Amino acid sequence: MPILKDYFVLSIVLFLIGLFGFISRRNLIVMLVCVEIMLNAVIILFAAISHFTQDISGYIVVFFIIAMAAAEAAIGLTLVVLIYKKFKAIYSEEIANFKG
Amino acid sequence: MNWDMLIFYYLAFAMIVSSIGAVFSRNPVHTVLLVLVMIIHQAFLLLTLGSEFLTAVQIIVYAGAVLVLFLFVVYLINLRKESRRSMFIKRICLCAIAFLIFGTLFLINLSAILNTKGNIKAILPFNLKQSNLWWMANYLFKYYLFQFEVIGVILLVAVLGAIFLVRKVKSVQD
Repeated sequence: MPILKDYFVLSIVLFLIGLFGFISRRNLIVMLVCVEIMLNAVIILFAAISHFTQDISGYIVVFFIIAMAAAEAAIGLTLVVLIYKKFKAIYSEEIANFKG
Repeated sequence: MNWDMLIFYYLAFAMIVSSIGAVFSRNPVHTVLLVLVMIIHQAFLLLTLGSEFLTAVQIIVYAGAVLVLFLFVVYLINLRKESRRSMFIKRICLCAIAFLIFGTLFLINLSAILNTKGNIKAILPFNLKQSNLWWMANYLFKYYLFQFEVIGVILLVAVLGAIFLVRKVKSVQD
């Protein structure tokens, strides 16, 4: 059986991949997809801890995380479509005049 | 090597490779499809962790709803002309420094976690008598009912917010 350490390492590697994608890609859609990768890493962590401690609460947190991810994808993609309508670009440098 | 480790290593390898490919692929459609591969493998990883219900929810919600939404937006925003430009943002050095800081923090955290000697005890033997789904429903509607209602309200607010945002800009343009 794989032990808890294996799931920890897998989760952290996936989280770092998603974090690297989020802070270094230009495309806003790919940045949102990288947020999904990070959420999936957290899901693995919660499910593994819940499995190894035989406590059901972690699975319920995973259920809530999936619902939150659905809401986040809906709002985020709506904002991406609005940004594309306004600026005709979804690259994070070309919409830098959003600030201030 | 027994079958458990073999299945776990296959799932972990496929998830890591497909997510690296998703981060480094130039086409956003390829990114979304590679994340779809990752999510299906993760659903089976949740199955090896003993939760059938979360496997079904993962496949239905993520692979069936969220990623189809992403694909819909990728096809709605047609960016085929601009795909020849650079993939990463200009200040890649700054990004690498931030990534290294986060990575070292995570590694320190990981080593601190793995060095603790806490003995993990079974709190609830949920796989002895009833299925996992039975225990999940029991806990969800007995102890987490308020949070469940809050999640419903959050989803409703998300749907209403999306509709409100799109409608407002349309009326301004008209």
